[in-house]
Parts: sequence; C-alpha cells; structure tokens
Amino acid sequence: MAHSSTQRLEMLSRQLNPQSTNDAKARILEKRPDDVVICVALRTALTKARKGAFKDTKLEGLLVPLLKGVRERTHFDTELVEEIVVGNVLHKDSTFITRASAIAAGFPATTAISTVSRWCSSGLLAVEAVAHKIAARSIDIGIAVGAESMSTNRDGGAPEFPDSFMENPTIKDVTELMPWTSENVARDFNVLRQKQDEYAAASFQKAEKTQKTGLFQDEILPITTKWKDPKNGEMKDVVADRDDGIRYGTTKEALGKIRPAFPQWPPATTTGGNASQITDGAAAVLLMRRSVAEQLKVPVLGKFVASTVIGLEPRIMGIGPSIAIPKLLKKVKLEKEDIDVFEINEAFASMLVYCVEKLGLDPATVNPRGGAIAFGHPLACTGARQIVTALAELKSSGKKIGVTSMCVGTGMGMASLIVSEQ
Amino acid sequence: MLEFRTQGYNGYSVKYSPFFDSRIAVAASANFGLVGNGRVYILGLTPNGIVVEKWFDTQDSLFDTTWSESHENQLLAASGDGSVKLFDITLSQFPIQSWQEHAREVFSVHWNLVGKDTFLSSSWDGTIKIWNPNANASLTTLPTHSCTYSAEFSPHSPSILSSVSSDSHLRVFDLRTPASASNHLTMNIPIHTPPKPRMGAAAPVGVPPSEALTHDWNKYRDTIIATAGVDRLIRTFDIRAPAAGPIAVLSGHEYAVRRITWSPHLSDILLSASYDMTCRVWTDGSAMGVGSVRQENMVQDDPMVYGGGKEMGSMGRHTEFVTGVDWCLFGAEGWCASTGWDERVLVWDCRAIMQ
Repeated sequence: MAHSSTQRLEMLSRQLNPQSTNDAKARILEKRPDDVVICVALRTALTKARKGAFKDTKLEGLLVPLLKGVRERTHFDTELVEEIVVGNVLHKDSTFITRASAIAAGFPATTAISTVSRWCSSGLLAVEAVAHKIAARSIDIGIAVGAESMSTNRDGGAPEFPDSFMENPTIKDVTELMPWTSENVARDFNVLRQKQDEYAAASFQKAEKTQKTGLFQDEILPITTKWKDPKNGEMKDVVADRDDGIRYGTTKEALGKIRPAFPQWPPATTTGGNASQITDGAAAVLLMRRSVAEQLKVPVLGKFVASTVIGLEPRIMGIGPSIAIPKLLKKVKLEKEDIDVFEINEAFASMLVYCVEKLGLDPATVNPRGGAIAFGHPLACTGARQIVTALAELKSSGKKIGVTSMCVGTGMGMASLIVSEQ
Repeated sequence: MLEFRTQGYNGYSVKYSPFFDSRIAVAASANFGLVGNGRVYILGLTPNGIVVEKWFDTQDSLFDTTWSESHENQLLAASGDGSVKLFDITLSQFPIQSWQEHAREVFSVHWNLVGKDTFLSSSWDGTIKIWNPNANASLTTLPTHSCTYSAEFSPHSPSILSSVSSDSHLRVFDLRTPASASNHLTMNIPIHTPPKPRMGAAAPVGVPPSEALTHDWNKYRDTIIATAGVDRLIRTFDIRAPAAGPIAVLSGHEYAVRRITWSPHLSDILLSASYDMTCRVWTDGSAMGVGSVRQENMVQDDPMVYGGGKEMGSMGRHTEFVTGVDWCLFGAEGWCASTGWDERVLVWDCRAIMQ
C-alpha cells in the first residue's frame, strides 16, 4: 500500500513538474516526429594516397560507387532524395563533378546537389547542411557526403595574400602549414613527444584490433576500381575493401624512433608516425525527418541532434575540439559523462593529447576504433566518416550517445552530437 | 453558483446523469487519492441547493465515475485497487458487481453511448478493457503498453474507441477490425506532432512528447478528438488526417490539464479543468466567423494558437487542483459541474464567464 501511494505521488509530481524527471539526456533520447534521423551511413575503405587502391581514382570514382551504394541500401523511390550535399576541399570543379556523379549513380535529374567546404570539417558541414535543410523543412530527405581524392588533387595550401594582409600576424598564421600549428600546440601546452607517441600507438592498436575482428566491415562499402601497377604501368582492377594505413604491431617505442618530420620548428615532436596520414576516401550519410522515415518504413540508425562550430587562433588550430565540444555540450545541456563515444579527429597526436586531457575525457571513450593516425584523414571525408564510425561503434557496443569533432585548418573546431537507435 | 462540500474527500471526477437533469455523481478520494478510502456521491440539485442523495464508500481511492447509459440508477467507479465497480443507487452500501482484472490503478471508465450494452475501463497497467455488465470477465483487453489515463467510446459508433496515455499518443481502436496482430488498433497518433507551419509564423520544431491525461470526442463532428495533458496544451485532431498534426492548439492553462469535455450543445465549444485551479471555456475556431479575419491575413496573434481557436473565459473559484468537469445535457446550454482537491463540487453556468 505504501508502495503504491509513493508511486501515485511520483505520478502526480511528474504531471506537475514534467521537467523534474525529464532531464536533458532523457529529452535527447526521445523520439520526436520532427527529429532528423540517419537511415544509411557507410564509407569507402581509406587507402594511402599515391600508393593505395584509390591512388588512380578521381573524385568521381569515389562518389559514384558510394552514392550507388547508398541508393541500393534504400528501398524507397530514389526520386524522393531531394538534395545531395558533398563536402570536398581540394577539387576545383567539385560542384560539376557532384552533379555528374549523382546522375551517374542513378539519381534522377530532379535530385539537386550542392557542395560545401570548410577544410577538415567539410564532411560534417555537409551532414549539418542536410540536417538543417530537413529541420527547416526545405527538404524531407537528403544525402550528405564527404569525399576527398588526395592522390589526384594537390593541396596547394594558402593562396598568395596581399602585403596588407600579411602584415596582420593572425592572417599570416592562416597561411602557415598544419604541422607548424601542431608544433605550436606541443610547445605552448608542453605536450611531450613521448605522450604523443603513446596516443598514436594506441590509435594503431585500436584500429588493428577493430580490423582483425572484422568490425570495420559494418562501415565499409567495398569498391572495385582501377589501379596502375607502378612496376609495369599496367592498369588493373582492384577491390578497395580495407583500410591500408593500419600498421600492425605498432608500439610507442617503435614510434619513438622515428625522426622528427619538421626539425625546423621546435620542439619538433611531430613525426610521420604520430600525425594523420594522407589518404583517399569518402563517406555518406542519408538523412530524413523521422515522420518521413516512419511513413516510408525506413529503418533508423540514429538521430542527428546538434552541431556547432567555433573559431580560435590559427596558430594553435589543433585544439579546436577542446572548445567546440564544450560549446556543443553546453547547447544540449549534457555533461561529458553523458557521452558514450567521442570521435575526435587525430590530425596530430599533439592536439589529440591536449584535447583529451584538457577535456578530462576517459581515453577509453575516445576513438575506440582508432583514428586518422592509424587509417588516415582524407580532408573532407573525415567529418562524415566519423558519423559512420561512431554509429557503428555505438551499435556494436550497445551504447547511445556519440560526439564527433575535429580541428579545422585556419583555426576552427566543429562538433556534432548523434544518438544511436540501433 | 451552487456549491457542495465533499468533506474529507478530494474530488476526482464529476458526471451529470444522462437521465435526470438534477442528478450528479462525484468520485472522490481521501488523502488526495494517494492512500485511503474512496467515495461515490450521488448529489441532487434542488431549489434548496445541492443535497446528498446517497454515497458509497470503497476501500481504495476512486479516480473516475460514469453513469450507465442503459439503467438510470446504475453507475461505475474506477478504483485505485484495479477494480471496476458497478453501483445501484436503489441499493445500499455495496456494489452490485466488482470486476478485478486490472493490475494497477483504474483511471477511467466510460459507457458505450451508442451500443449501451458495453463499457470500458483504462488503467495504469497499460490496458483498456471492454466489459459487459452481465458478464463476470472482460470481453476484450486492448494493450496500450503505457499508463492510460483516459479512454472513451466514440459517441458516433458502438465499436470505435480511443485512448490517450503517458506515452503522448492518441490511439483509436475499431472493434470491427480483426484482432490479429494489431489488437484492433487502427490509429496511433503522436500528440506531440508539430502543427502544420502557417505563413507568418515560424514552424514549431522539437515539440517534446508529454503525458496525455484526458481526451474527448466531439459530439457533432464525428472525426474530431480533443486531447490535453501535462504540457498544458489542448489540441484537436481530425482522425481523417492522422499524420497532419493538431488542427487547433489551445494554450492558456498554467499547469497540466486534467479533464476536457466538448459541449453537448455547441460543436466548437469545450470545457477544461486543470491543476492551475481553473476551469476554462474554449472555442476551437471551427464555428463560422471565429478567427476568419486573422486567417485572411495569414498572420496569427499567437503563434501557438492555430485555426482561430481561443479561450472564451475562465472560472477561478476552485482553490485547489480542478480534476473533474462535466456539462449538463439538459436545459439551457452552458450549465456545468466541476470538482477538485478543494473538497468542493461547484455547479455553475459557463455563459456567465464567457466574454
């Protein structure tokens, strides 16, 4: 009897103060008809630039099979996809390529396209763009892609600025190379080489374990492409179905022996072993409004809850996630302990160490499948790839809430929050 | 305004007899329905005020009552111990029947207005049960998997019924459909679906789910149902367009809305009772002329008010939560009765408070 009266009292207080038990986390886990949900998330293998399976594959060679893969995973009329937004950094004609690739992948002419770029966050920017269009009801269904062929598109760095610009030290910093910013982070925040190698080795080890247990197969769409054999110049068909940058058996001791890559910039802690690899790859995410998914009976993988961006001094651009993630969590009123998985892009081990320790994150929750140090960072691909990886990891671990974040060249950080519903 | 004190008992539900314009039933509970006895009052409206004709005491709290549609002296009570009790006011003390099937508190009982040979009950145990007063066991059990605060037969069809529950959904069941997999469920409408965006107002996004406590079928328009609950909003839905979201959203109550009921006389008027200690009269804007000027301009005064619906008046004489309200079916339109936790039953004419 006492038991039931307590429960009746709880029921009444819930009716009077719905907020009291309805905390921020519960609200984020709720399913609302106007949620933006993710229904397909997949990526290509990530392969080494100028060596790997995609070295002779141009941007369209990544886009067409990936978009086809997305189309084949949906059972509703392709015409219902209203827009494809592609994030790409390096290709100067990416908008033309995207329009043609969408048609080549079997999308009708009525499916619109657009491209977005904000360097390393382009893939997430594309996801955000589609999500916002759905939330604002300009479209119901869209596909976000991040794609980068670093083998076939040169990274020319900053353009030449007029002297009046270059006199401004912050603008001058914008034109500097990324490894320089990594050394700045190491120096300013005293991130030791040893620590960097430790985090880098952990990335390789986690990726190795994931690859060996076959868990990456949940993320990767195998693609057959043309590859020129450097020995005899012959073109042959190869299947890109695994990440080729993961060096098995990597230890922090082995990484400790690698020579600094940039001895000109003290403390010269950045090496080929503790920085992200130059890689080709693409990732795609299909989003729609939950009410539409229910109507079309499309299974939902998760929902896209929120995203945000923030700028900072270009000279220490790497620490972007350490301010973007708190900004995001404040917006959604969550604590870092509420987050099950953090995908933080490993541009450099220096910034990874700083961000994880500054935010006080449990390292076990950060990049549980490894990161860009182990399998590469195709610039625009990464933001979309992290969503794919986070959803796959949340599914396999049976957890719910994921945050993805990356630092952005010229000094920015972006972050997003997703909820797995698998 | 007439007044009666349910001394020691906090009101939970009030219902006018469908047979006599001067008879009211009130379900009330000691200790705010948290623990203790329940009591059904049969009240008579006389020239000398409200008098008790009879009462029945029960072991556990009572949360709802409804009059039989087939027998003028019988009425049902929904009990906290999971039982549904049938009383006959010509007999003394004990119920003539008590059905003990629900596993948790019964929150609503409702008699089939068309068929008249069945009634229903809904419960915290996540089920609705259909009963025949002459049978010892329930005829059908309809699962909602969610604490079901309110269930009702359609006043237009003997085999259609509806419910609202703590999962923020309005369900419609049709007993003519095969039971099979869906258990007669024909419609499951998320009450928190955002209303259709209108020109001149931003599209509302992120309307959170919220416990629904009450609902009622419109007596004239057979596809219109109003719902209300913890989020303080009253919404109307047209079950011909279940995916379209609410057609009217009426805001004004400052706490959860505990009970709503459509007028038996006017197709656009409904009455609500709330934890904010008021009863309010509303139009959903469907009557001709109301809101038409604003519609032409396509600009709303209040972005949460759709379709020209608005509050017409408020009755603030209760001094505690108002939990029950009902219209008198007879005589001049506008007479109604309300009850609440202030141990009072008020009988009043809502035309007096309408602006």
